[in-house]
Amino acid sequence: MNSNLLVVIAASAIFYGTPLFFAALGGVFTERSGVLNLGVEGMMLIGGVTAAWSSLHVGGSAWFTVLVALCIAMLAGSILASLHAFLCVTLRANQTVAGLSITIFAGAVGLSSYFANIWKAAQDPVTRQVRKLDVLGLADAPILGPLLFNHTILTYLSWVMCAVASWYLFRTKIGLQVRAVGESPQTADAMGISVVKYRYIHTMLGGALAGLGGAFYSLAIVPTWVDGMTKGAGWIAIALVIFGFWRPGLTLLGAYLFGALQSLGTVLKARSFDIPGDVLDALPFVMTIVVLVLVSTRFAHKRIGAPAALGVPYEREER
Amino acid sequence: MRSPVRLERRLTQPRWLNSAIPVFSLMGALVVGAVVLLATGKNPLDVYWRILDRGFLSQRAVTGTLRTATPLAFTGMCAAAAFRLGVINIGGEGQLYIGAVGAALVGLWIGGSAPVGITIIVMVLAGMLFGAMYASIVGVLRSQFNTNEIITSLMMNYVAGIVLNYLIFNSRSYWRDPRSVGFPSGKPLEKRTFWPTYEVFSTSVSFGFLLAIAAAIVLWVVYKRSRLGFEIGIIADSPRAARYVGIRTKWTIVAVTAMSGALAGLGGTSQVGDFAHYLDAKGLQLNNFGYTGIVVAALARLNPLGAILVAVLMGGLTNAGYSLQGPDFPSGLVGTLQGLILFTAVAGEILTKYRLRSNRNAVKAVAV
Amino acid sequence: MTNSAVRMTGVVKRFPGVIANDGVNFEVLKGEVHALLGENGAGKSTLSNILTGLYRPDEGSIDLDGTPVSFSSPKAALDAGIGMVHQHFRLVEPFTVAENVILGNPQTAFVIDTDSTVERVADLARRYDMAVDPNAKIWQLSVGEQQRVEILKVLYRGAGVLILDEPTAVLTPIEAEALFKTLRAMTAEGRTVIFISHKLDEVMSVSDRITVLRGGRTVGTVATRDTSTRELAGMMVGRSVEFSRATRRNPGDPGDVVLSLTDVSCEDDRGREALHGIDVTIGRGEIVGVAGVAGNGQRELAEVIAGMRTFTSGRILVGDKPLANGRARSAIADGVAHVPEDRLHTGLAAGHSVEDNIALKNYRTPLLSRFGMLKRNVITSQACDLVTRYDVKTPDTATPVRLLSGGNVQKVLLAREFSTKPKVLIAASPTRGLDVGAIETVRQRLVEAADDGVGILLICEDLEEIMSLADRIVVMYEGRLVADMPAVGATREQLGLLMGGATPETSQ
Repeated sequence: MNSNLLVVIAASAIFYGTPLFFAALGGVFTERSGVLNLGVEGMMLIGGVTAAWSSLHVGGSAWFTVLVALCIAMLAGSILASLHAFLCVTLRANQTVAGLSITIFAGAVGLSSYFANIWKAAQDPVTRQVRKLDVLGLADAPILGPLLFNHTILTYLSWVMCAVASWYLFRTKIGLQVRAVGESPQTADAMGISVVKYRYIHTMLGGALAGLGGAFYSLAIVPTWVDGMTKGAGWIAIALVIFGFWRPGLTLLGAYLFGALQSLGTVLKARSFDIPGDVLDALPFVMTIVVLVLVSTRFAHKRIGAPAALGVPYEREER
Repeated sequence: MRSPVRLERRLTQPRWLNSAIPVFSLMGALVVGAVVLLATGKNPLDVYWRILDRGFLSQRAVTGTLRTATPLAFTGMCAAAAFRLGVINIGGEGQLYIGAVGAALVGLWIGGSAPVGITIIVMVLAGMLFGAMYASIVGVLRSQFNTNEIITSLMMNYVAGIVLNYLIFNSRSYWRDPRSVGFPSGKPLEKRTFWPTYEVFSTSVSFGFLLAIAAAIVLWVVYKRSRLGFEIGIIADSPRAARYVGIRTKWTIVAVTAMSGALAGLGGTSQVGDFAHYLDAKGLQLNNFGYTGIVVAALARLNPLGAILVAVLMGGLTNAGYSLQGPDFPSGLVGTLQGLILFTAVAGEILTKYRLRSNRNAVKAVAV
Repeated sequence: MTNSAVRMTGVVKRFPGVIANDGVNFEVLKGEVHALLGENGAGKSTLSNILTGLYRPDEGSIDLDGTPVSFSSPKAALDAGIGMVHQHFRLVEPFTVAENVILGNPQTAFVIDTDSTVERVADLARRYDMAVDPNAKIWQLSVGEQQRVEILKVLYRGAGVLILDEPTAVLTPIEAEALFKTLRAMTAEGRTVIFISHKLDEVMSVSDRITVLRGGRTVGTVATRDTSTRELAGMMVGRSVEFSRATRRNPGDPGDVVLSLTDVSCEDDRGREALHGIDVTIGRGEIVGVAGVAGNGQRELAEVIAGMRTFTSGRILVGDKPLANGRARSAIADGVAHVPEDRLHTGLAAGHSVEDNIALKNYRTPLLSRFGMLKRNVITSQACDLVTRYDVKTPDTATPVRLLSGGNVQKVLLAREFSTKPKVLIAASPTRGLDVGAIETVRQRLVEAADDGVGILLICEDLEEIMSLADRIVVMYEGRLVADMPAVGATREQLGLLMGGATPETSQ
């Protein structure tokens, strides 16, 4: 492999990794507060379809339309997430099945497909896309150009968010309280922190980010609406949260690793490398399993620090 | 910030809840679904009536419904079997594909020569075995490395789908019909190996559906009466108590996951033997049988006999969805309704653990 | 009086099936250590949870410094200056001491300034003579240190009223003394301390006044200097009780060994060594008491013998048969019975019926199953028989055990364990949390079993219980047995020192 090919793969890893990172970062927030969200796939798809619709129907300048589309996608994701929070936090339901119900409800053959159908969102390529930028005119610079200066605005946003999220979770008072809620809701409650409020807010924040990730598919990657277009990215994002040890920085690296796996097929095929396409297609899924096995061994588990109360409904008046 | 009602822990679980919760869940889902329909400019009563009509109200409808219900019954039991142990195997989808691969392999291989009865039996066994083996990967990873089975089983669904595509579309495999040129398809089974159908009240019932009923009865007996069922119950109730009396939890997890996969594999087998009569890579993936099975299991509250009943219900819904699909019956509507049913079933489960109490008067119960 | 810090009047709190507080009246004065005394289940914890806003009272009123208050949440109570140190610590394990102290404090700046926080926490700890490193992670600390963090948390928020729930339960006698000193330092500054306990001695030594609760009602409030241990005990249980050594029909035979451990070591759940070369034997009909502060390896010891945990070295013999390592089923078959500390979730499957739980250890025998299928009618009749014999109060044998009272839960467990005809019984805190009547029944059952020749290992934090039942006492400290002595002649003081890590020589 020559270095040129590596650069192409790395650049497209960043491109394909960006929506994974958004969804996974949302998962970091949600899980840090102690809520397991298996509805990410559904939230991404709802984000994708609402963004596609907005892009087709909201008028105004291109920038304005894209901005509105992204906001609507985030709103849609967080509305769905609030349903999840209602089930898990208010009704203290089984978080696993609750998340599944969200994904089935909103997923590839559910509400997202229904919306696409009645809105006719799938007919044309979206006109207002999230396009790659040419930052400082350096996009064509050798090596660094494709790596750093030729991405969409959302990719740059994701870098900012990665830094902000780390700072928020580990340096601020609110972040400390979020982590306390996820580690020991009893303690947080006793110290006057509202477990319910924190879990709702961070679950909805997670949903918004999943929606944003979904919008990236319909506005940048494809860029049109196709039923079930995320093809399991939401699930990979959930695995990425574990892979990233619930830390934004590591999650970003993990997202790019999986982005590379996803883009490998496209890149290699375009350069007529003779690798069976199906093997490459299966790679992200197989890798996810391998990674999960590695981090769930006892050795790793002691070190990575999953939130202790993850997936456990909190009930105050227990006796 | 005091809410008018609060949740109070139930001390006992009245029996009537077992049937009341699914009924309430269904009704709740229909109400929420009506809101979605109204909001998107459809008439819910009209939509529901047409679903009822096309799903249940004619012989032709019922035949189609039972046809769709057959795989759902198997995947529903697949999910229920694993969920009972607290193993969230959502890989029924992939296990169904792999079961179909196994059944088709055997059917193609010995279907031309072996007696029909033997062929069918071996197909059933092969489908179960393939499904079980595929699922047991999930079980082994969970019990040996404590790997989250939800994600592994789900990833394996995608892998299984890719395997199907590879076998039929992207290779010259044993399963592919060499005569199919333009659009690749599976090699058809010998006609004599097609599974029988039976006429019951002038509705045709497939052999696979009867097999599902038999499997449900066996499962029910296992849960109620067997040592294995007893141990599964203890592990699910209290893993520490299971450890305390020396129940082999790890072994049980693998065994139950394999059993769960075998059930899904049977669903795939029935698709090959009953309906498609070849490895239908596209058809198998089109219907989300595995995921709908989770809805079935949840609404049946993990009861295998209930799963048959719910499968017929969901089958009707899905079947009506196919036949109605068109400009004024958007795709995705059936999936949305099924998701809502699961959603309300999850929410309804809370009534087994809690009851609603008014905050104003702590003594008086306000609902259920 | 205007110097009332807290006054609770007519407080009623109902839970499904129980009335935890039934018209409690309770008044605490400023600057005093006020003990809230009562047995388990008397309603102390419920009362303090109401005072700290965790529960809302169904009836009754609370006055704080003479003004009526109503707390909607723990936060509201904290803001009003009432802080609680829970029996089960409310600490976030992966966080540092300083992070735990500032958690939820409204005065913390949005961006955390770690250095100044650490400084201030250290200052506060020095002021009350509490040794603790603000930068240490909670899981690295001893139980006593963790309790100090709890107290620091409350003080840091400027609480005027501190409630301590059974604070000495997890402490060694030496740590307890240090705690009492800290409490004195706090009342000297005008803070008020509510000290919840069921231990008469320590209540007498630390408090100014005492309120006794029984069965959810106030029995009375007395000044400590005007009362005696005996009077308090009478108020607490409603009749006078005397603890004395149990009388034995057949004394044990230490020479006929039914269980022996030789150089047994094992690891805890985190993979750290929990037992270091344990050597102990139990004779036929002998009761050996294991004294020690919780968390010194007692649980691991019980689990190793019961086959629930693998030992990393050494040898265990039941009778003269070596025990299979980490195989609960063979331990049961070899005659090891086990009453675990966590009865409802380890010893029993709480959601299962009484009959299923009674069958839990013999459902695989030919008596109860054939060809992998259970004989449900035999399971039911076996349960009916034992329920009658052990006088378990349950509507029927199909009732889930989680609906039974604590005493009846323990009876179900004991009935099952004794019905397996054991050679050895491991009993971990068998009377904890039971009412007086049930305690007596359980103790009597243990003595009867010993009389019938069962060797009993009684693992217990309650010295009273060990001293009244055991023939021989061993003391556990940090995974080792640091002493082995006859029960007759052992003193509380001596045992207390050993439990706190003093060597036998210095304790003489």
